[in-house]
Amino acid sequence: MSSGRAPTRLHRDALALAAAGVEGAAVSRACREAGPRAGPGEVAARLARRAARAPGDPDEVAHRLAALGARVAVVGDDAYPARLAASWPELGAPLWLFIAGPAGRLPDAPSVAIVGTRRPSLDGLTVARELAEAAAQAGAVVVSGLARGVDEAAHEGALAAGGATVGVLGSGLGVDYPRGSAALRARVAEAGGLVSEYVPGTPPRPHRVLERNRIIAGLVDAVVVVEGGARSGALTTARLALEQGRDVLACPAALTSPQAAAPLALIRDGAQVVTAPDDVVDALGLLRLGDRGGAPRPGAEPAGRDLGGLAGELATLLSATPRTIDALAGATGRPASAVLAAVVELLAAGLAERRPSGVVRVPR
Amino acid sequence: MSRARVTWARTVAQVGLEAREVTVEVHVSGGLPGFHVIGSSGAPAREAADRVRTALAASGLAVGSRKVLISLAPADVPKLGARFDLPTALAVCAQLEVLGQEALRDVVLLGELALDGTVRPVPGVLPSAVHAARTGVRRLVVARGNAAEAALASGVDVAAVADLTEAVAVLGGAPARPIEPPAAPPSPRARGDLAEVRGQLEARRALEIAAAGGHHLLLIGPPGCGKSMLASRLPTILPPLDDAAALELAAIRSVAGLLDGVTLDRTPPFRAPHHSASAAALLGGGAGVARPGEVSLATHGVLFLDELLEWPRRLLDALREPLEEGVVRIARSRASVAYPAAAQLVAAANPCPCGGGRRCVCREADVARYRARLSGPLADRIDLAPTVTPVGAADLLAAEEGEPSAAVAARVAAAREASALRQGRGVRNAEADAVTLRASARPAALAQLAAAVDAGLLTARGHDRALRVARTCADLGGVDAIDADHAAEALGHRLALPEAVAG
Repeated sequence: MSSGRAPTRLHRDALALAAAGVEGAAVSRACREAGPRAGPGEVAARLARRAARAPGDPDEVAHRLAALGARVAVVGDDAYPARLAASWPELGAPLWLFIAGPAGRLPDAPSVAIVGTRRPSLDGLTVARELAEAAAQAGAVVVSGLARGVDEAAHEGALAAGGATVGVLGSGLGVDYPRGSAALRARVAEAGGLVSEYVPGTPPRPHRVLERNRIIAGLVDAVVVVEGGARSGALTTARLALEQGRDVLACPAALTSPQAAAPLALIRDGAQVVTAPDDVVDALGLLRLGDRGGAPRPGAEPAGRDLGGLAGELATLLSATPRTIDALAGATGRPASAVLAAVVELLAAGLAERRPSGVVRVPR
Repeated sequence: MSRARVTWARTVAQVGLEAREVTVEVHVSGGLPGFHVIGSSGAPAREAADRVRTALAASGLAVGSRKVLISLAPADVPKLGARFDLPTALAVCAQLEVLGQEALRDVVLLGELALDGTVRPVPGVLPSAVHAARTGVRRLVVARGNAAEAALASGVDVAAVADLTEAVAVLGGAPARPIEPPAAPPSPRARGDLAEVRGQLEARRALEIAAAGGHHLLLIGPPGCGKSMLASRLPTILPPLDDAAALELAAIRSVAGLLDGVTLDRTPPFRAPHHSASAAALLGGGAGVARPGEVSLATHGVLFLDELLEWPRRLLDALREPLEEGVVRIARSRASVAYPAAAQLVAAANPCPCGGGRRCVCREADVARYRARLSGPLADRIDLAPTVTPVGAADLLAAEEGEPSAAVAARVAAAREASALRQGRGVRNAEADAVTLRASARPAALAQLAAAVDAGLLTARGHDRALRVARTCADLGGVDAIDADHAAEALGHRLALPEAVAG
């Protein structure tokens, strides 16, 4: 624990509980059992009895946190984000958070979550990046989940604008997930912070990735959904945000794009439409309430399933907007030589077309 | 002084790159006083006579009131320039008996005379010196300013003289002053480095392939996106010139009067003529005997044609044959000369009529029409057409430096080595025999190219050209056999060319 404040009983309890493998779902259950009037200390005590059956080593967790430059924050603590504390206990805010960042706390400013699919089109990547840049330039904190695709682009955009950005992890701190993202995580930690409710080293699991969405929703004033399929986790984040009274915005995308399903469903159900990056900035000032998200509608699977690796990847990235070879190479991280060969494969298969300004997807 | 006695001195005339031996004969008689030059005609001959006579007088070697007849033999060799002044003056000196005829045996003299007797440098000394060395000449006497250049030709003793008096003394047996090393060694020409190019992955790859295989390249991108910068970096990844190529290039520069270095320059040249250049400037020309043009000055290096669509069609068409054959032949009134023209073409063009960029408002049909203007005999020789994208200011600051030229040059050198083992040194993949290359391709690669022809992505003529690029891709990958991926990449590099039809 980095700051000079003495750890309270609650801090020690939280470390012990986390070390014993208690996660968000168990905390929520204990909250319900304790009743709405129970304070964090009471919930912790209730959980401690259960955790005593399989005790962990809180000192070891504390050491690992210290090694990662992180500290634990508990509800009621001044390092615990105020907006998120408002969601305790009914809306499932975590009892404790591990925060790695400057001074062990997150920046206090209007915040926006920019979330979406891990497999966006290049349009989606560009939009996520530009929205994040605009928001960061306006002084907002950009919060996202540090996943591949839209999340990464949002963090990158905020960093490029020199703004603050917070990454909420679906794993413990110090886990290389997504693999190879260590550099980005380090930059995010420096420019805002990394947040996790799991003991450092906890591997990512699908349920944890979904659980962290409630933290993303709880940390921000507004959630922007950039691209996502019909069953995208971004829809979960949007639903949780509405429950917590946050604004929900969605970026319209081409009907033909399989990644348009999530934002279009949200727009149909009354989410605010993003027509320009500044709409996000305005929303942060206005804090309008969006309508409830409805049932997602089925969307098409991305084209190019039967193509080879890179060609298949490119088929997903391409849209009606022409893309240069350089843009495709940048998005896939592959050399231009391989991208050129894969594009020729797509052209030969009739899945893409060459325009003077780049390559476009042929609608199927 | 016998009336019938003829004295002579040897020199060399330059007809383009070709050196021709010339003997200056002098006869002095007691006829009507005069100083006549024959074997050369017009104003230049009269001016030469006046220069030589005045320079002799200024050096204390006045001819007096006698009839001096000077003949430059053979008469049918075109003799351009003032390089015959020095041999003429010394042949006259032999006539005046300040110098024995024997002192001029096996000596070649080249130099212009100032009116006060100073010897001035002349262009084209290097090829003349090479010729002299080859024909067993003992000694070459040139102006001080030409000494270093003449010394590039090994096998001949070069004596540099400041003026006519010193020339007489040196030929009379006085020790020649040593050739002074240049005051400041010429700094290697700053050409930049590929590391300065950020992003541009496609263009960088195309540049590397162009360097390794000698393929012609077309950069397509809006103004200010870095096309010229990329093109000017090509020489930094080309292998350095070998002895023969460096000497040939130096000879061309010498004839053009552009040889400034004192050491043999092994950097491949980069020439970027403007699109308002004349045919004579581009291909070579000028009165009498043609001087080398840009295409020859770029030989063994890069000829960069910016704004390709702004160039007059007839110039581009005229450029095709020299680039194809590696030699340009120019006939002028006095002589027909041939200059090397083995340049690699790098062209640049805007992507659309408005210039392109983010604010482009051109319709696709207009763009297609604009691109169609690229077709023609010259564009048909282009094998790589990468898109160069403008890099935003933020990206410029954020993007990492590109790979440095030295690293790319190493791969290029390795690929050249591989192609030399297969088809012999000096034959780059762009000139390699298609039959040989086909033998080094896997069936899958040939099938890929055949499928592209069937799908209308490639013309039958483009097939062999794409095969050559695929060969270079394989060489850069260190692979013996051309694979389907190499063929696909080669096709990818042609996508922006007009002959390729969208699939």
